[in-house]
Amino acid sequence: MADITSAPKTHAPAQPDPRARLVMALMLAFAFSAVGNALLLPVLGAVALAVLARSGMGARQVAVRLRAAGVLAFGIVLVLPLMAGTQVLFQLGPLRWHAEGLAAGLLIAARLLAIVTVTLALLAPLPPYQLVAGARALGVPALMADLALLTLRYVDELRAELSRALLARRLRGGKGGGRGLPDYGVILAAVLIRSHRRAENLWAAMRLRGYGAGGAPVLTPFGARDIRGMGLAAATGIALVLADRAL
Amino acid sequence: MHLPDGIVPVEFALAGYAASGVLTAFALSRVNRQPDPRAAIPRAAMLTTVFFAASLVAIPVPPVSVHLMLSGLMGVMLGWFAMPAIMVGLFLQAVLFGHGGVTTLGLNGLILGLPALLAYGFWCAAGRRWPDTAALVAGSGAVALALAIFTAIVLSGLPVALDAGTETVAIKAFLLAHLPLVLAEGVVVVALLRVLRRVEPGLVPHG
Repeated sequence: MADITSAPKTHAPAQPDPRARLVMALMLAFAFSAVGNALLLPVLGAVALAVLARSGMGARQVAVRLRAAGVLAFGIVLVLPLMAGTQVLFQLGPLRWHAEGLAAGLLIAARLLAIVTVTLALLAPLPPYQLVAGARALGVPALMADLALLTLRYVDELRAELSRALLARRLRGGKGGGRGLPDYGVILAAVLIRSHRRAENLWAAMRLRGYGAGGAPVLTPFGARDIRGMGLAAATGIALVLADRAL
Repeated sequence: MHLPDGIVPVEFALAGYAASGVLTAFALSRVNRQPDPRAAIPRAAMLTTVFFAASLVAIPVPPVSVHLMLSGLMGVMLGWFAMPAIMVGLFLQAVLFGHGGVTTLGLNGLILGLPALLAYGFWCAAGRRWPDTAALVAGSGAVALALAIFTAIVLSGLPVALDAGTETVAIKAFLLAHLPLVLAEGVVVVALLRVLRRVEPGLVPHG
């Protein structure tokens, strides 16, 4: 099982701090989301690839993390033309693919892949704890930051425990289909009960070590690289939105 | 059942952020009225982790396999804390696994958070007198409501109008495909809450 509490290895040079990365990711993602003109899709792709190249992530990591978005994008391009439009492009028996649906599907799929690529490139190389610290420094309430910290601290352990319990159920020849459903409720309850006390102890220990985000966030000034990165992301986003309105 | 990035217009995504931001702030203000708001963090983190991990566990319900959503359960067990917990879970899922989306985080928060809060309200009203019925309604009802909100957002946000006949077929197929999840989630939540009420009633504080 993958350890999600550590970041993937990258070969990138020094990178902006987590707050700047979050701001850049959100600005670019929303700008991409605002694009409605198909002529701008190559620009979206180019910006996303440039950010990805700068992140230093390996091709395999990128492929693994983009797989789900790729499957979803393919599904949208395949299904939307069946449901929308009047101009028939292609017919297979009762199925008709329409031009308007295909154009809309391609637009959605391209935006989806570009946003996921940019988010991945900017945020995935960060250790999750730094990501939470960055979000806290940007104004996320302390209670939510603490909740995220404890969730991250515990997620691998709980997933392993859940997998063990489900495997044990299968090995015992647990009932299949709908009759086996209550078993899943019992398994989840058992995992919750077992884990809850440990979580309380863990939380107490984390608080004693000063681990929680309860106090005010530590705010260091942005460096020149951070300001440059955010400025570039803002300029790119504004240019994309203006170009989309003008075209 | 998460809205991915890029599928809805940016105006929808921004409105989703605003609405879920207001709802989360209100929920946090209610949590902060408690004597020690941070005392509930371990329980909320456990539920967020289960929410996070349960979406990766497939339960076979022939002829399909379903992934539990658990927003109704979060509402029942966490009360107002369910909304910030769901937002944290969605944020981590989007950033670490690419499930859901960064721009659609607010909308996804509404799709799962509103049913969770309604499940909490229903559980508070009926959980003590009719615990099994209330658990079933909270579990299944939260999924059904989330499906309805999800469908409404997707249909009104698509950049192209769907053919009316095809739209009806698509909605029926979508709802039919998720019927096993509605039923499965209700049964799982009933069984889970039965065990918790007997063995660790402190984990179900609002019933």
